[in-house]
Amino acid sequence: MTMERPTILLVAAGSVFLFAALSGPLAIVAAGMNDPSATSENAPVSLVNDVMPILTKSGCNAGTCHAKAANGQNGFQLSLLGFEPNEDYSHLVLEARGRRISLAAPEQSLFLLKASGTVPHRGGARIPIDSEQYRVLTQWIRQGARSDLATAPKLTALEVQPARGVLQRGGQQQLTAIATYADGSIRQVTSLALFESNDSAMATVDESGNVTVLDIPGKVSVMVRYQGLVSVFHASIPQGSPIDATPPSRNFIDDHVFANLKALGIPPSPVCDDATFLRRLSLDVAGRLPNEAELAAFLQDPSTTKRDAAIDRLLQSGEYADFFANKWTAMLKNRRDDASDITSNFAFYSWVRDGLLANKPYDQMVREILAATGTVIANPPVAWYKRVKEPKQQLEDVAQLFLGVRMQCAQCHHHPFERWSQDDYYSLAAYFSQVGRKPTSTRGEDMIFHKRGLAGVPNIKTGVTRRPASLGESAQPISPDDDPRLKLADWMARPNNPFFAKALVNRYWKHFFRRGLIEPEDDIRDSNPPTNPELLAALEKQFIESGFDLKSLVRTIVQSNAYQLNSVPNEYNVADNQNYSHYYPRRLQAEVLLDAIDDITGVRTEFPNLPSGTRAIALPDNSYNNASPFLKVFGRPENESVCECERIQTSSLAQSLHLMNAGDVKGKLANGNGRAELMARAESPMQDRIAELYRIAFSRAPTTEELANAMAYMNEPRTDTAGNPIDPGRALRENLQDLLWALINTKEFQFNH
Amino acid sequence: MHRQNFAFRSRSLSASFFLATLFCVMSIWTVSSSVSAQSVCLPLPRLLSVMPMGGACGTSFEVSVTGENLEDSSELLFQNPGVTAAPKKDANGKLEPNKYIVTIAPDVPPGLVEARVTSRLGISSARIFQVGHLTELICSAPNTSLATALPMPINSVCNAVVTAKAIDHYAFDAVAGQRYIVHCQSRGIDSKLDPVVIVADSTGRDMVVERRGDTLDFRPTTSGKHIIKVHELTFKGGPGYFYRLSLQELPADAPVPTFPSTQSVSAFSWPPSGLAANASTAEEESIEVQRIALPCDVSGRFYPAADVDTFEFSANQGEVWWVEVASERLGRPTDPAIVIQRQTAAGADATWVDVAELNDITSPMRPSSNGYAYDGPPFDGGSTDILGKLEVKETGIYRILLSDLFGGTRRDPRNQYRLIVRKAEPDFAAVAWGLHMELRNGDRNALSKPLALRAGSTVALEVVAVRRDGFDGEIRLVMDGLPEGVVAHDLKIAAGKMRGILLLTARGDAPQGMTQARLTAHSVIDGREVSHPVRIAQMAWPIPDAWNEIPYPRLVEGIPVSVTQSEHAPVTIASVETKVWDAKQGSNTKIPLQLTRRSEFSGSVLQLKTLGHAFEGNPPFDVSLATDQSDAVLQLTTIQPAPGEYRVAFYGSAVAKYRYNPIAIGSVEGEVKRAEEEVARIAEELQKATQSLAAAPAEKKSDADAVLADWKAKKTVAETAVTAAKAKLKSVTDQAAPRDTAEIVISEPITIRILPKDPL
Repeated sequence: MTMERPTILLVAAGSVFLFAALSGPLAIVAAGMNDPSATSENAPVSLVNDVMPILTKSGCNAGTCHAKAANGQNGFQLSLLGFEPNEDYSHLVLEARGRRISLAAPEQSLFLLKASGTVPHRGGARIPIDSEQYRVLTQWIRQGARSDLATAPKLTALEVQPARGVLQRGGQQQLTAIATYADGSIRQVTSLALFESNDSAMATVDESGNVTVLDIPGKVSVMVRYQGLVSVFHASIPQGSPIDATPPSRNFIDDHVFANLKALGIPPSPVCDDATFLRRLSLDVAGRLPNEAELAAFLQDPSTTKRDAAIDRLLQSGEYADFFANKWTAMLKNRRDDASDITSNFAFYSWVRDGLLANKPYDQMVREILAATGTVIANPPVAWYKRVKEPKQQLEDVAQLFLGVRMQCAQCHHHPFERWSQDDYYSLAAYFSQVGRKPTSTRGEDMIFHKRGLAGVPNIKTGVTRRPASLGESAQPISPDDDPRLKLADWMARPNNPFFAKALVNRYWKHFFRRGLIEPEDDIRDSNPPTNPELLAALEKQFIESGFDLKSLVRTIVQSNAYQLNSVPNEYNVADNQNYSHYYPRRLQAEVLLDAIDDITGVRTEFPNLPSGTRAIALPDNSYNNASPFLKVFGRPENESVCECERIQTSSLAQSLHLMNAGDVKGKLANGNGRAELMARAESPMQDRIAELYRIAFSRAPTTEELANAMAYMNEPRTDTAGNPIDPGRALRENLQDLLWALINTKEFQFNH
Repeated sequence: MHRQNFAFRSRSLSASFFLATLFCVMSIWTVSSSVSAQSVCLPLPRLLSVMPMGGACGTSFEVSVTGENLEDSSELLFQNPGVTAAPKKDANGKLEPNKYIVTIAPDVPPGLVEARVTSRLGISSARIFQVGHLTELICSAPNTSLATALPMPINSVCNAVVTAKAIDHYAFDAVAGQRYIVHCQSRGIDSKLDPVVIVADSTGRDMVVERRGDTLDFRPTTSGKHIIKVHELTFKGGPGYFYRLSLQELPADAPVPTFPSTQSVSAFSWPPSGLAANASTAEEESIEVQRIALPCDVSGRFYPAADVDTFEFSANQGEVWWVEVASERLGRPTDPAIVIQRQTAAGADATWVDVAELNDITSPMRPSSNGYAYDGPPFDGGSTDILGKLEVKETGIYRILLSDLFGGTRRDPRNQYRLIVRKAEPDFAAVAWGLHMELRNGDRNALSKPLALRAGSTVALEVVAVRRDGFDGEIRLVMDGLPEGVVAHDLKIAAGKMRGILLLTARGDAPQGMTQARLTAHSVIDGREVSHPVRIAQMAWPIPDAWNEIPYPRLVEGIPVSVTQSEHAPVTIASVETKVWDAKQGSNTKIPLQLTRRSEFSGSVLQLKTLGHAFEGNPPFDVSLATDQSDAVLQLTTIQPAPGEYRVAFYGSAVAKYRYNPIAIGSVEGEVKRAEEEVARIAEELQKATQSLAAAPAEKKSDADAVLADWKAKKTVAETAVTAAKAKLKSVTDQAAPRDTAEIVISEPITIRILPKDPL
């Protein structure tokens, strides 16, 4: 085991003072240590600091057991993860006529009999009789099962030791959890803390805090939770392979990506060739394959800046706006529930699309959505308020979509992985408390306006009205005349906002690299650290300094050599899936794949009531999924969730079968005006026709072997069902259809690589 | 809309209207009732499209019209006397159906005028026609691709209809740096189109887009061919989706031209009487708090985003000020709001307390919800503007904080307002629309009806008033200039009330005719007679399904009224005697009614409700449609009207077995007969020619053969004419088949005198 820095493992209770100095100031790294397991027979047991942690560690108050959030079990409810000890005291001691506790015979207390499995307990034996936890609980009952809520020292900090480490593959690391209380006392709480790895494919951790590293190099973290506080152990798992050279750095992205790879010893793949780049770029920026003319011009262009020129050309295209509007409107829930939604859905989609085309600054776009007023036709972002009607839903969507923070848990209880409380939740909801609505003549649509008044929402738990406060900040005074949503937008766009820009650059990074620097991309929290924090910070800085310029962000990303690396891994980086040592191939999303099939077959899919030739990436809402089994099978979202995960990007048997056998695909192959038919009638040399197909499908010419195989297949005679030879023209047409079918069914076609 | 003098003249519609041999069934909008089992509202003429939708001053050009129930139409009429139309004739002097030659006199000012046609059933609904100054084009060939883009000269306007599921393309040559204005007029000229206008480069790559009907103010960076694309927001299209696309060149510093538009219904209450054209004070945007003296008249704008304009003034205890703001009624998408505060401490630590909030002008009638059932008029007479009162309780310094509740994120310098604070000037404004009731869920067809009366019918206009500055007096409604045989009856807007009814009754023997009427509202305010014109609100389009089509109400200028003898009302209901009916306070009473029935009905009972001040709470009662006489039941014990004289009417809906234009059958039968006779005649000639050919010597065979061939060709033409005439006969016969049609039935007004109770 290699340690990044010296680590002292605390193995026994007691008071320990450690002093460290290395050509610098002396530092006290730990002081005072008590393990709850060492509580003596007669020491007073604290409900708050002894009993509740045991219940949490044992899983008694987990969502699957007695947590109130999940309605408990058999009438016994506890607050989720023990966040409400006062309520839990009532549940344990006072409820059910006190039958859960027996002061006279503590061991006969129902809750101990159940927890120890002495009497049947569907949750099994969670706290064995011979365990230290059992002894502490028994002692608490024996001492009168008292609540010390008012007097118990408050937990103020949780630290995991070590906080960081460099671990070799196959190595292990014991973690220690240290709790600090308001009275200055410090306790080692490892045995009562909860541990969770953020990537179990890279490292596992057992309940005692022992981390085991697996074979994948990179960054992994272990979240340590104790009584509402969270600490994180960051581990770096180097591969240590030799790196002779990295591709040249084209911007700060390359600096950070390649520095990280060097630190981990993961050599990157080389930069991809021009054809691969153009195909990748076109798919990622414009959601389409490059056409033949583009490809030929690009490949023939001798300019050394032609890649940058291609980037700019695609960023100026309407398809860029179509493609990213498709991405955004799904998360903004542009959903058709009723035929009469069509006007507002088209208006909202178009508003997003036009803003992207004109490169409206991102903060402005968000501001116009958040603080939308008026009617949908006059001000299309009002449509968001048609779909997201309640202040709670509004805050949750805004937090997750624009801040990368999931606040849902905090509606009912303290967030288990985060610092957000219910007060934080309702303070954020308060920004939306003055959204007024007036009816319109359009069914299902309201006019949205700022309803004058003091913004505030009561915390359902405490009943205390919370005034608007941004995450991590105290309440700000907002005049009744001011629309609080504008204040929220102001806060978001502040250069020092810790969430807004970070969430966006991480989301866009994932769009181009398949994996976010933080995963999931909309779950940014202290306990879910980025794999390359320096890179994330640099992207965030650049985005803010650019004036929230989305096209500039995209340009910066795709101009980097990190983006332009070959997707073929080398022998050293094949296991890497988070450090961007090579381009991670990914399946084309439903709309892009359908458009690509339309391109190669030469037959466009017709969508109801839209002009012929409308591409699937330009569909304004989810309603077209109903008419297109293809889009459904390949996971196009129904625009019901603010999470991009609603889009299904995994592969399935249904997808394979669809590509092989479905009527819509077969119909395109056999279409009388399709490419197979036209090519069969063409007079150009067959090898040219085959090469054209390869260029359309893969943006490259066929290899010699591929060409030879295809030529041979074109010349194969065909027979009808009776075994008689069929007309050569028809045979050629069908052979071409087969070739197209084969190309469509390759991974090379279906993936961006 | 520019107000124009109306130029319709009183006229009699000739009998040729319904006897004309020319019978044109409108190809697209025929009788809409054919769609469903039960139709709603008896057919009325509706002019739905005019192509082109405008023309340049001093020009003459061909115009085509389409609409509903416009057979036999022969006149196209415009509001402005400078715009005239004559039916178009072909080279043989034969009238070309639905085509006119329109001439715009050189001195006609640019703006909008209303066009209507006359038809068998009378005057049609209005369609907007624009008089302009640009070169007019008509897009007459498909232009739905880059390759077929229609070249568009600079400073021209193209009249076109957008194609469904397609994008119209136009090409123009641009000069880099030159300023161009591209604008697509649609909703403001009665089109259904929500236009999307895109300027693209020569390859069709989108550059700038406008989707909200605003103007594209565009400076290209390169010279050369550019493309303008137009489509409907949701890619709908077809005859109702017409537009006028204009392309103009402007100097860099010239203001963006304004494009005339119809007005929203709420605009009827603006401006107040006697208001100066321009405000006396301008808002000063550079000043945080602008000092004003009351009364005041300020013009300003909600700009930039989240703008709050603050005006400070002194006021004395006991003063009452009326505050009015117009912005939405000026056509802007705004929602003005005012907070009035009083200063409670001065100096740097000045503090202010709210004393009043003013917001919205309440609609005089609760407008319908956007539900499927009809639950009120879908005309909102209210506004998001402000009309309210400030009562000064304490002498001191006050301030008005004026903001736009829709303006948080919008930065549009065109969002102007006019703020008026005045001493009470009691007054009112009124607007009218056709009375409607639930006939079929979702159906709003009736709300685009013209005032084309069938002889023997009574129609009702619902008239509502916005009262200003505390005025609560009675408002009388007067309609004059009516055709012969048509009488208007006032069911006044009672004191303190917002709604009244005006009834128009056409006698059963009223002669065919049409006039331009005037509707005015009268009252006595502070001892002086005050009258105001009342405008009419109508839906721009009949709407059979209010869920799938957003109703589009607007004000119209003219109030033409016609009466037809071509058809009569299915039933006329009137009291058996024309007299004042006496009734005693506190006792129920019956009034005998005479039903003049001219149609079969589905069902034998007609439930009637009561219209008229103090009587609207009268419980509904039934009358029999199977007999000629019935009773109106007035439950005076329930509604308890005070002694006095009242005018009431009764209304309900009946389902008539309606036959559409049965008289046309005879006419077309004549056509068939004549066509068949022509075939027979030609057959005889053909036989003769055949015989001539057989008998002809060899040298004349060729000539005889030619004669025979000529008759054969004529026979083919004649037989085709027979087929067409028979098809036409089938069509008119089908249309004339009895069809269940729900219609609003309104009685003629009845005057009732409520006498005091007998003393005990």
